[in-house]
Amino acid sequence: MNLNDDVKKIFFETFPLLTESDFSWEKTQNNYDDWDSFAQLNLITLTEAKFEINFSDDEITSINSPKTLLDMIKSKI
Amino acid sequence: MNTIDKFLTNSCKSDPGKLALIDDNSKFTFLELEEKVQKFSSFLNQFQEKSVISLLFENTSEFVISYLATINSGCIAHLIPTGISESNLQNQISSAQPTLVLSSDSYFSKIKNLELENSMKVKFSEVKEISSEKKIPSSNDYAYLIYTSGTTSTPKGVPITHSSCDFSTKNIARTLHYSKNDIDLLPLQLSHSFGLGCLHTSLYVGSTLVLQKNPNATDILNSIKKYNVTTLAAIPSTLSNITSNVSDDSLAPLSNLRLIITNSTFFPPATIRKLKNILNTGIVATYYGLTEASRSTFMLFDDEKKIESVGKPSECIEIKIHNESDDENIGEVWIRGPNVIDNYWEKEYSHNKSDDWLKTGDLGRFDDDGFLYILGRVDDLINISGEKVYPQEIERIVKVLSEIDEVVAIPMKHNSFGEVVKLLVKKSINSKISSTDILTHCIKNMERFKVPAKIEFVEDFPRTDYGKIKRFMLK
Repeated sequence: MNLNDDVKKIFFETFPLLTESDFSWEKTQNNYDDWDSFAQLNLITLTEAKFEINFSDDEITSINSPKTLLDMIKSKI
Repeated sequence: MNTIDKFLTNSCKSDPGKLALIDDNSKFTFLELEEKVQKFSSFLNQFQEKSVISLLFENTSEFVISYLATINSGCIAHLIPTGISESNLQNQISSAQPTLVLSSDSYFSKIKNLELENSMKVKFSEVKEISSEKKIPSSNDYAYLIYTSGTTSTPKGVPITHSSCDFSTKNIARTLHYSKNDIDLLPLQLSHSFGLGCLHTSLYVGSTLVLQKNPNATDILNSIKKYNVTTLAAIPSTLSNITSNVSDDSLAPLSNLRLIITNSTFFPPATIRKLKNILNTGIVATYYGLTEASRSTFMLFDDEKKIESVGKPSECIEIKIHNESDDENIGEVWIRGPNVIDNYWEKEYSHNKSDDWLKTGDLGRFDDDGFLYILGRVDDLINISGEKVYPQEIERIVKVLSEIDEVVAIPMKHNSFGEVVKLLVKKSINSKISSTDILTHCIKNMERFKVPAKIEFVEDFPRTDYGKIKRFMLK
């Protein structure tokens, strides 16, 4: 499994109702139905656990799409 | 109103030749036990009434004899668990101020170096019968003193009067239908109120008590078979251990028990169901109580819908939910009744009482049928952006996962939400479970705000002398 697949899997685990057709790397937080502040927390916690990395508060705030999350992970591993 | 010494005296009068007590090495009829207690009392009668006598014994007849003799001599029995740490032992002794510290020969080394002022240290085997004046305790006197386990704070001394103990003993016997025909197996520490309550009940109804020291599941099953045991009192982990680690065929001795009683605010439903399936006609029961308010409710598990309840308040005991929050049904459990202590040993803890109500620190709610549910501790609540989360709810969901031995949810400070959930996990041996596995399970099975924001694996947890996790030390 490559990094893209791993990140995509995190999204599908965090948003169990998300379908393939709804997912897009470019779509931002506002365009996902239940991406609220707690979903953001779950997303970050799961990512940190999976890749054994840590995000700062500023980095967490800047993550607002699958792509920004992917880029942030790339910068840390 | 009885004093505790009368439990034995009355049973001895009605059936002196009946077997009262069995331990690993000895057996006593009621008459033999009464004689031993009287002889031992003659030594203790030299001490002034209401003196504190500290007792450090394992689960043997020596404990029973020393305890009853202490009561018989009008003194207060301070019960020390054998697993106590050195510092906690010194703290308890400093607080209790005993006139005498008495131990079994095998535990004497533990008290040998204690710093004591104006008190003696004696081994069981050194006690000799002497000529002395007999004492008569009265029902309002303190009978025994137990220190709380310190699960939630520093240990507090809890003195229990004869009258309170008499009430609780009759409550147990009546509710659980104990009779002189019973043979009661006790793999529980007598220095804890659960085990001690079972001792009192056996003496009161005149049944036979079988004591065990640190038994494993096989020892318990063998004793049930050997002595034709009718009731078993054990903590939930002992029962879960028996049902999980023993093959179904080997569980046969349990089937003829008439009662299995435990003491948990949360007894895993899977264990309850399995035990109910094994028993032919017997019942599985639990109770809710504190050392400060013994056996406040009983739950006889006969209704699947109420399987997470601790039952209804016992006769003459009032329980109310004291509510200062927005959620009308949930609040702190307050208890009032003859089973509630008048005061703590140390006066500084009097704030735990309001008029006659004991403020338990437990969070609970009643359902429409009057059944009580314990949700956790007031101090343990995790406040996530104003949403109150009960750690036990999180822990129950995570415990469903195999490869996890124990889990504790605690609050963790968070810039945006005030607090979030942090999970401390003790894995099973050879477990390969990861944080990601746990988080994925939590996301599937919890509301979003309850999902832990951090998971930490630990080797073990800080524990009390009774083996309970000290949550307050984890925060």
